[in-house]
Amino acid sequence: MVRVAVADVLVVGGGGASLRAAIAAAERGASVLLVSKGRAGRSGATLLAGADLTLDGRSLREFGFPGAPDDSPEKWMNDIVTQGFYLNNQRLVEVYVRDAARRVGELLDRGLEVLGSAERAIDTTGESIAGVLLRWARESGVEVVDDVMVVDLLLSGGRVAGAFGLDLKTGETMVFRSKSVVMATGGWHKAYDPNAGSRELSGDGVAAAYRAGAYLANMEFVTFCNNIVYWPPKWRGNLFLYILHSLAGGRLTNCRGEEFLRKYDPVVVKYGTSMEWNKCFISIASALEVREGRGSPHGGVYYDVGDVPWEEYEERVTKFYPNWRFKGVDFSELAKMLRDRVPIEVGPAAEYFDGGLVVDENMRTSVPGLFAAGECSTGVFGANRVAAATTEMIVEGAIAGEMAAEYAKGASLPEVDDEQIKRLEERVRGPLRREEGVKPVELLRRIQRLAHEKLGPVRERRGLEELIEFLEVIRRRDLPRLYTTSKSERYNREWVEALELENIVLLLEISAKSALMRTESRGVHYRLDCPHTDNRNWLKEVVVRRVGEEAEFTARPVAVTLMPPPTGIVPYWEMMREMMLAHSDVGGSH
Amino acid sequence: MSWKRVKVTVFRFDPRTDREPHYRTYEVPLADGMTVLDVLDYIYENIDPSLAYYSHAACRYGVCGGCTLLVNGRSCLACQTPVTGDITVEPAVKSKVVRDLVYEVR
Repeated sequence: MVRVAVADVLVVGGGGASLRAAIAAAERGASVLLVSKGRAGRSGATLLAGADLTLDGRSLREFGFPGAPDDSPEKWMNDIVTQGFYLNNQRLVEVYVRDAARRVGELLDRGLEVLGSAERAIDTTGESIAGVLLRWARESGVEVVDDVMVVDLLLSGGRVAGAFGLDLKTGETMVFRSKSVVMATGGWHKAYDPNAGSRELSGDGVAAAYRAGAYLANMEFVTFCNNIVYWPPKWRGNLFLYILHSLAGGRLTNCRGEEFLRKYDPVVVKYGTSMEWNKCFISIASALEVREGRGSPHGGVYYDVGDVPWEEYEERVTKFYPNWRFKGVDFSELAKMLRDRVPIEVGPAAEYFDGGLVVDENMRTSVPGLFAAGECSTGVFGANRVAAATTEMIVEGAIAGEMAAEYAKGASLPEVDDEQIKRLEERVRGPLRREEGVKPVELLRRIQRLAHEKLGPVRERRGLEELIEFLEVIRRRDLPRLYTTSKSERYNREWVEALELENIVLLLEISAKSALMRTESRGVHYRLDCPHTDNRNWLKEVVVRRVGEEAEFTARPVAVTLMPPPTGIVPYWEMMREMMLAHSDVGGSH
Repeated sequence: MSWKRVKVTVFRFDPRTDREPHYRTYEVPLADGMTVLDVLDYIYENIDPSLAYYSHAACRYGVCGGCTLLVNGRSCLACQTPVTGDITVEPAVKSKVVRDLVYEVR
């Protein structure tokens, strides 16, 4: 049975970008329906964010915090664009630095929990941001639908007409009819293991928008968080050692006991360990050790406290995490391991997806009526994100919501195409109808392992070609054979994973092909076989769209407004050093 | 690393097809530090993929609250509760069961 719901604006996603968009649309007088795959405000990457909301130091001081006194939106833009290796869409960067303070201010006014502040950031928690936004959304009259996965967008005469969803608890399919849609579904972390996201992030929104004809770009750029625990298994995937490394020091060694970061230029090491550049620099450096045969047994490197005296180390940590507790988790056991110098294996894990839906400064995608915001869009951070994604989501969310509401005002409710709904119904129920074939979880594990190996922080032509070949076979042979053991329609995890796998395979294939096309190293995309940053040929975004059943890839020049990009072909590590040195004089980790 | 086998007894019920709930017991090899959520994941991945528990949007960090369950009769977060011996796992609200360990929150 198909259930139908109608609204002016449909917002897809359960995190900050989605909630902020829903609020903005509702405040413009639109009726708003927010559909979340998990529980809205209690799912998505927002909830797990650290979180530092970045804004320029001058604005920070205007709010009464001790921010960087000489900072300005212009300086901040300079830093974001250099950190992004000039691949940023500068129009979007201008919007980001222009609106950040206003959007952060709104959250402060509404009772955001403040833990402290830095030169360019307010320290808070993702939980608090999500909580404030969820309350605000409810007050604004946003209607929330939880635990519904959006499977595809509905189209009517080339325009978006709503979405088709699956209620994961009841197994009913749902048709959401709307005049406009905001996509705010975040990244596709689930393509990787380990990853630093929550479990539902499988790129459903990006994949659905692509199938609806929207342009994607920068899909080869994936930011990995360094120092994620690989071993012991109890802590696998945990990011606490990432925080400890920047907070209290310590060292990374390879299997020969060498402190391998020392091999790099001291400037790179300085910025690359004291700032959020660490995600880019240390992830690549760690992955290189592993690739060159100097890794740990479980494919990582080793972290320990190094020459920091234990008392001092512990004091630095417990100042922020009293009794070694962080969120709901007790880390005293990990503390004991660190104190006793038990080697802990750490390495990179997928954390943030720089690529995604192409948007203009009004957050419009290339499909009429479809808008996008937050991590599932692309452009603001270019090839490497250092400034906060939490600020991105509230800045872009607010614009996307406003624009979607404006669009809806002048539009009629599009008819839905019954044929499309019938086809979707067939596709969605496929895995339930098949009695045998491929088990979703087994296929997922195989894909995740290979993605981590071939499309991790370090790539090269052969590995990418192997991955692409593997994914093409999976797409043709295995995806049509996915089946569920239980035929129950009520909360069937295998069913959900079968649907997610279509999106994961699609996005990985696009990402790998984009990475193969980009024959250079830039930002978080490091190619062993192309170790130069090629400003002559590659100040371009790899853009992709669906043409029939095939993906069409093109390269187009990046949008430049205020900052003319560098020229010439430069060794990657030299380029990184230059980009680090281009940072303005404000200090801090952003 | 210490390995032992534990018995995990799980509440099973599909209101659409079952007249009443029943319990099924699984034997799980227990690695050091495994939580209740890890044990349920192990069952799903290796023994019985038909088991329903709130997993598709679980945060694993004790924040989202999605994995709240009864373990040996006590309410807890599955992702934060270590398993040390045999356990019985049930939904937190038995009157609102969607399927097995998944229940309506609102």
